[in-house]
Amino acid sequence: MADTAEKAHIKVVEAPKPAEETPKPEKHEKLGTQENRKWPVKPEFTPEMLAEMEKILPSKLNRIVATSLAGCIHCGMCSDACHYSVSIPEDKKLLPAYKADRFRKWYKYRYDWMAKVFPSFVGAQPLTKELADEMYDKLWGGCTMCRRCTFNCPMGVDYGMLTRAARGIMCQVGRVPKHLQDTIDTHYNSGNNMAVPQDEFVETIEWIEEELQDEDGCSDFKIPVDKKGAKYFLTLNPREPKYYPLTIQATAKVLNAAGVDFTISSRYWDLTNYAMFNGIDPDAKLFASWIADEVKRLDCEYLLSGECGHGYRGLRWELANWLGGVPFKITSAMELFARLIEEKRITLDKSAWKGHRFTYHDSCNIARSGGITEEPRIVIRAAVDDFVEMEHHGEHSFCCGGGGGALAMPEFSERRIASGKIKADEIRATGANVVLQSCHNCTDQLKEIVEHYHIDAKVMNLAELLAPALVL
Amino acid sequence: MENSVSHALQILEEPIQYVCLTFMALMYATKIYLLMKKPGPPEKAELKGDRFAGALQSLANVMRPWSMESTRNHAYFYAEFVVFHIAVFLTIGATFLIPLVPGLMTPVVTKFFMVFMGLAFLIGVRRIYRRATDPRIRIISSPDDFFAITLMTVFFAVGFGALWLWNAGRPETGLMWVFFLMTTFFLLYVPFSKISHYVLYPFGRVMFGQIFGGRGVLNRHAR
Repeated sequence: MADTAEKAHIKVVEAPKPAEETPKPEKHEKLGTQENRKWPVKPEFTPEMLAEMEKILPSKLNRIVATSLAGCIHCGMCSDACHYSVSIPEDKKLLPAYKADRFRKWYKYRYDWMAKVFPSFVGAQPLTKELADEMYDKLWGGCTMCRRCTFNCPMGVDYGMLTRAARGIMCQVGRVPKHLQDTIDTHYNSGNNMAVPQDEFVETIEWIEEELQDEDGCSDFKIPVDKKGAKYFLTLNPREPKYYPLTIQATAKVLNAAGVDFTISSRYWDLTNYAMFNGIDPDAKLFASWIADEVKRLDCEYLLSGECGHGYRGLRWELANWLGGVPFKITSAMELFARLIEEKRITLDKSAWKGHRFTYHDSCNIARSGGITEEPRIVIRAAVDDFVEMEHHGEHSFCCGGGGGALAMPEFSERRIASGKIKADEIRATGANVVLQSCHNCTDQLKEIVEHYHIDAKVMNLAELLAPALVL
Repeated sequence: MENSVSHALQILEEPIQYVCLTFMALMYATKIYLLMKKPGPPEKAELKGDRFAGALQSLANVMRPWSMESTRNHAYFYAEFVVFHIAVFLTIGATFLIPLVPGLMTPVVTKFFMVFMGLAFLIGVRRIYRRATDPRIRIISSPDDFFAITLMTVFFAVGFGALWLWNAGRPETGLMWVFFLMTTFFLLYVPFSKISHYVLYPFGRVMFGQIFGGRGVLNRHAR
């Protein structure tokens, strides 16, 4: 992944030109942890690993997970809620209740009273290699933790938390999709999940700033790095400096046009947190603490999440819990853009997008688990005339199939693409030729399913929508 | 025969049922204690919504079929659910009313109970059929799932029959004895079966409501 990324970055390092206002780091600082780590990923479950999992299980059973494991009544109401079971109806083993039962059977075997006497009667099973293999297949490769089933469960079973707990147990014994864990190890070792070196990152930002200044009416626009006392501390998805520098450029253009006082850290700027996907809390907490420390170091009032689904949720809703509270406010680009529009701090020309029809895909972590559903629509309606909602939208939106770290699990790619059929069908039904979204995992998945299901549509995020429509 | 039934019924209706009821309460208390001992979900993030209002809304979900797609799109299934659970409530109520305030079980009241018991019996039969024949439900069903719904269905049928005879002026019958014997069995069995889901229901719903209420996903219009 890193090698490919390096190649993609060639253009970025070709034309570096430091901006006067941007202090370049004195030397290449070792970011991430001091000691590099390589997680011992195992190809299959062994009896020793199963024994270790038995020891770990109690530590993962908080009140939500325990209630979710004990509370399923097998009513089957979740069947129509899951993008896997709706898109691949022939595979009954992709029903949320069935998938969760791979974990539940083991839990019941350990904790259910009736199972102590009649395990088969309540569907309890001891943790065997076969059951663990099924858990691996269904809870890594058959669930994106999107929580759509949770919202449709009469009992309030939190499948997202349940799956994350199971993943955490499997990961702790080394049974984790290798590419997913590599991403987390890279983040752990270098401070961002694509191992972008600090000096290279700063050069990239400088280059983007130059490109931005070359745009009409943007000659005085800046992308401040390490500016102390800035109001907003902007975080980025590493895909942006690596593959999508235009997204940073678009975001910076909007913020500059509105006169927003912001900065980017040269040290910790990666808002992603793939430890949310592998269920290892200490890593999730560590990555969050790096960002929090930087916000404090630069004395910013707001931590501003870029357009990234799980990154937003991690910063906005989980970070404070991992760290026990934070002394700054946390918001997102989607919310800030909406506020800038409502406060008339930016002016938009809808004719920039004349002839295009738009639809918006709600990232599960932003909408269902994050509470942001109105703001993106404020942004879109201010920028375009032709906007059509998908049949299921807002907190009812189907997952595109790219959540839960699915894009970092190539062994499940075929199922991931198949699971995106319901989303592809809904996009097609809108007749839109632009699919908007606010999440990089969604971007990549939507691009794949749009191509796979032969839909003539472009995929863009909100900053890319706003930037060309700005009246400067 | 009538005398022996009467004597056995008296024992079942009162002392045995009280002992079993106490046992069930103890089991539930233990369940709740074990659950509450586990760490709860922290929420230190700045809230966008109201956790308490979210919890209330979530708890009331059962009465708001429009709030979930799963019930919105399956109105018939939801109606079955409502009737079935009202019947559960009434049937359990009958096991208290018959021995404690038999005067309340007038023909009108009894017929009202019987309507729900009869409907719940039919729903139970349909649910057993569905569980056995719908591949999506069969694949997730355990023997406990089949046993629980079968037991409830038989319970409704027996209760219906016992009340029929009660209305016919025969309060102390073998069927009534079976009805109370099943009640006793329920009190002992339910804490160990899936039927005890109603104890977990408030916990699951309140936690769901707190999380998503606090994040402003629920109570959107109230905000």
